Amino acid sequence: MKHVRTILVAGLVIAALAVGASAAELKIGISKIVAHPALDAVEQAVMDTLAAAGYTDVEYLLGDAQGDFNVAITIAQNFQAQNADLVVAIATPTALAAAQVYEGSDVPLVFAAVTDPVSAGLIPSATDPSGYGNITGVSDLIPVSSHLALLQEVSSDITKIGLVYNPGEENSAVLTDMALAAAPGLGLEIITASADSTANVPLAAQSLIGRVDAYYVTTDNTVVSAIDSVLSASADAGVPFLMADSTSLPSATLTAGFDYYVHGQAVGDVVLQILGGAAPNTIPAVYQADAEVKLNLDAAALIGLEFPQSIIDQAAAIYYGGIEFSK
Amino acid sequence: MATLLVHAIEQGLAFGIASLGVFLTYRILKFPDLTVDGSFVTGAAIASLLLVNHGFDPFTVLLIAFAAGGLAGVITGLLNTALGITNLLSGVLTMIMLYSINLRIMGRPNLSLLRVDTATRVIERVWEPLGVVSVLVFIALLTLLVKLLVDAFLKTELGFALRATGDSEQMITAQGVNTKTMKVLGLALSNGLVALSGALVAQYSGFADIGMGIGMIVTGLAAVIIGGTLIRSTRVGWMTTSVLVGSLIYRIAITLALRYGHVVGFQASDLKLITAILVVLALVLPRLREQRLKKVSAC
Repeated sequence: MKHVRTILVAGLVIAALAVGASAAELKIGISKIVAHPALDAVEQAVMDTLAAAGYTDVEYLLGDAQGDFNVAITIAQNFQAQNADLVVAIATPTALAAAQVYEGSDVPLVFAAVTDPVSAGLIPSATDPSGYGNITGVSDLIPVSSHLALLQEVSSDITKIGLVYNPGEENSAVLTDMALAAAPGLGLEIITASADSTANVPLAAQSLIGRVDAYYVTTDNTVVSAIDSVLSASADAGVPFLMADSTSLPSATLTAGFDYYVHGQAVGDVVLQILGGAAPNTIPAVYQADAEVKLNLDAAALIGLEFPQSIIDQAAAIYYGGIEFSK
Repeated sequence: MATLLVHAIEQGLAFGIASLGVFLTYRILKFPDLTVDGSFVTGAAIASLLLVNHGFDPFTVLLIAFAAGGLAGVITGLLNTALGITNLLSGVLTMIMLYSINLRIMGRPNLSLLRVDTATRVIERVWEPLGVVSVLVFIALLTLLVKLLVDAFLKTELGFALRATGDSEQMITAQGVNTKTMKVLGLALSNGLVALSGALVAQYSGFADIGMGIGMIVTGLAAVIIGGTLIRSTRVGWMTTSVLVGSLIYRIAITLALRYGHVVGFQASDLKLITAILVVLALVLPRLREQRLKKVSAC
């Protein structure tokens, strides 16, 4: 009896290992730092793009670090142990973890949704990826100054812009610094309010009421998770709120940003290039450029704002009565 | 599979050093210290700053990180002993302070060590003949050294005074020991170890991030409690061993959960649930075995 049990357990372990050793044509690891609509969209878009290009026999190893940086490392090590042929790492911490684990390896690493890959040490320069071997990818660096200019266009009364952000988030810190640097040149002033966790976002947003003429939020994962509280604060203040992420349109007065699904498609394209034989270090990093402006007329009505015609002409979509209408 | 195990052990031991720190405060000093979420990052921050901006030697920074963690512990200790703030709150206050201090040290939320000569890179080069296990051997040796030093310290007169402070403050005060000094010393040592671990993990992971300490107290306590449940002993040498064993089990549980969770139908988001279940199993199975053995011997 004793031995039967031991054999059963051994059998289960072997079975588990065997399942792990399944053979698909291609193994691609996709990891992200946390689950949230923008990052999820990137993940989905990569898989869709590959499927559309004819890659149907692919085993996807999906990893979600759930905000834990140490787990991001384990996920990358997991991919390596399962002999992934290519790794897509979504967001800066996950990309760094994968780069560390795959250092010196031939396995191509494609980063996605990384704001500043050059200062993160992922690639040596924006145009020349050849320095570090197997890494390339797509950056979602926001053209911050054009966003600030957009706010000026919405209303010439806007001179002070409130920026809610998490100083503990690398990409957010980079973009905030960019905003602070760009503002004086446009005749604007940025007033920041920091929130180190989602729970503190409402407080930070409310602290700006009466002190600013508009609210602005970049692709800050923490603030995006609590975006509705920023919208309420801006509505209480009676000022417009510009959000740099199109997926948040119902929760902002207007958005100017990238569609993260499109971002993911760009990542998919890079992956296709690599699968087609191009070496990663010959592919310069892609900096997404297709920013679109979208307007939330419901939110605008709440604060009695009428968008100038020039903005309406620019808009790629309008949110009205709870539905988004594209042009 | 073997490489996964190697990585799990590497991380289990690297975090094990932090768990030894938590052990010193939680088990020996009986002082629940939440500073660790902050001091872990302090170690990582100082090490990374010195490596990136000042080209320090990656092994020296481990010692400097230890010292920095010690300072953090002293702050908590003084809040408690000099200002009379309760132990839990003192730890929390220092942790909160450290968030801002750590950001200042790093100058940014995330400092990348990808292009810097970290300890792990140096070891991989210098101990190349060892191949895949070079880093594992280094971490194992370092952890062993730390454990032996802690064991030795706890058997000195000072160490005994520390243990006595945790066991019975009244008795040891009657013997003329200044328990306040003991608490500050214990907290300093403990957070020094946690910071050392942070510096090591940062170099292992390739970056220092302001958020990498979140949940460190949970990881540390998990190791201490799992280890303490599996290896019940009041002898110092066994107690520290049990902490390291606990840390290994916890890390292996996470690795297994990540690797095989999907086999039993779990999604990526169930990771923490699976880890907890595996830990419960690790705690319960030995006990079931004990009970069965007792029944058998009773016949």
